[in-house]
Amino acid sequence: MRIPILFMLLVSTTFMSAQTTRIIPLRFIPTYDRNHTLTEGIHLQDSSFYSNDKDSIEIRTLKFYISGIQLYMDSAIVRKETNSYHLIDASNEQTLSVPLTIPIVTDFNRLLFNVGIDSTTNVMGVQGGDLDPMRGMYWTWQSGYINFKMEGNSPLCKTRDHGFEFHIGGYHYPYNTFQCVSLPAYKAKEGINIYILLKELLSTLDLARTNQIMTPGKEALWISKVIKKCFTTFLDIR
Amino acid sequence: MKKLIVLLLLTSLAFSAYKVTDILSFVVPTGWPTPAYDFTQNPLSTDKIALGSALFYDPILSRDSTISCATCHSPYSAFTHIDHPFSHGIDNKIGTRNAPALMNLAWSTSFMWDGAIKHLDMQALAPMSNPDEMDESLKHIVSKLQHNKRYPILFFKAFSDSTITGEHTLKAISQFMLTLVSCNAKYDSVLRKEASFTEQETNGYRLFRANCASCHKEPLFTNNQFENNGLSVDTSLHDMGRMRITQDSANYLQFKVPSLRNIQFSYPYMHDGRFTRLQQVLNHYTNGITRSKTLSKPLQKSIVLSSNEKVDIIAFLYTLTDKTFLNNERFAYPKNILQ
Repeated sequence: MRIPILFMLLVSTTFMSAQTTRIIPLRFIPTYDRNHTLTEGIHLQDSSFYSNDKDSIEIRTLKFYISGIQLYMDSAIVRKETNSYHLIDASNEQTLSVPLTIPIVTDFNRLLFNVGIDSTTNVMGVQGGDLDPMRGMYWTWQSGYINFKMEGNSPLCKTRDHGFEFHIGGYHYPYNTFQCVSLPAYKAKEGINIYILLKELLSTLDLARTNQIMTPGKEALWISKVIKKCFTTFLDIR
Repeated sequence: MKKLIVLLLLTSLAFSAYKVTDILSFVVPTGWPTPAYDFTQNPLSTDKIALGSALFYDPILSRDSTISCATCHSPYSAFTHIDHPFSHGIDNKIGTRNAPALMNLAWSTSFMWDGAIKHLDMQALAPMSNPDEMDESLKHIVSKLQHNKRYPILFFKAFSDSTITGEHTLKAISQFMLTLVSCNAKYDSVLRKEASFTEQETNGYRLFRANCASCHKEPLFTNNQFENNGLSVDTSLHDMGRMRITQDSANYLQFKVPSLRNIQFSYPYMHDGRFTRLQQVLNHYTNGITRSKTLSKPLQKSIVLSSNEKVDIIAFLYTLTDKTFLNNERFAYPKNILQ
């Protein structure tokens, strides 16, 4: 007799919690610009983009950290994700969607998150999961996470195989590349789409001149500020 | 029904008993400061230390299985590479800095000659990935360990999980390194009033305190800071030291102050290993200082020592040799695991 009661109790609690919270996926969608989207199965290694001046750009790697996700209703915080560290990898579709669990009654109109890893976590002992250094997003020659990694090719680069490599990180003042992004966002059953407009970054970078940034410093800081501007929740598809 | 419950209870008990590994407490020697390492994030256990020791001595960490941590950090020389100003790594490639001795790492607040690494757990990543040292990635190391017949069992014993991760690999290596405590030199016995210095050592100690101890602070014989100790710039290397990390010209030519414990056996000396004998080191401090903007404050006033006084200081420095550390069986190659 005892077992059925326990079973019912268990089922009812699950049922109740299912009623009070809802999972809203945050979907990160790397795109070139507002006119060119790659909404399904992004295999960046197979795709080339064309920049303004018709130079083909191929992106092989696009990986970055999203951390400290928060939801706001006007100026009041309504939800803060705990232990919020997510490695987004454009070549791994599973990582592009971050499920947010929020109470059904909670409403919001703004989304905040950081691109990168906070300085405290940067100097802590080794962590697991998405923060495990074996994910290739931790520098080996010095302490610190790589917040944003983009690698690819462009004929503009006078490097070996016309390659470019941007490993953007650094948590020390004055070159702290940890950037906070604040975007308008509304509750929708199907989730929230966050577009990453790479044109913003690629057109700002003069690839002929700047194609290898792999250390913290002035240039990394400058690029991190451009990266911050690439994120948007609004997209007009013509 | 009751039988089932009893059985369940028993299995869960047995399971939990198995899971409780012997957690060891880290002993801080009397009079020493609180360690910088946060042991609550990585509590020591016999199985984790044993795993860390196996990883430390196993060349599987390198690209072609030729180089282990111990290649450049040998236990008989306080875990450094004696006779080599720069260690040779994979394919006989030569690095650019002198391999440091490994001891009392729980008290270190940064690692590497320029403090590039802020936490002991992340330290091993550097030699693993350096193309002149092990030339391997942590990701590939984890995959090699997972496919090795020995390691999944060792990781299960240590972490109750046979799926190997980068986190567990680095935590285990840290555990072994944390056990490398050197606190039983003659100097320590004298402080504990179990031995006494000779007249020469006493004089050397007095001179050491007057001229060297502000940077080489007792009892660890380092202040964990970065200093420019007036070495002339080696133009073949142009090593700017700490400035490489901070990009601040105030840190030009600053290097980490090393501990002097076991210095008798950890030659050559300095970040580039330019001195092979302690006599040369002392001659540098009295006669060889190159003056520059970032020269360490305590060195801005000349140090004057007679040759007899230098001999006395060296006699004192020899009292920092810890035989129980250098010949400790617990730190030796783990034959029972690796063979």
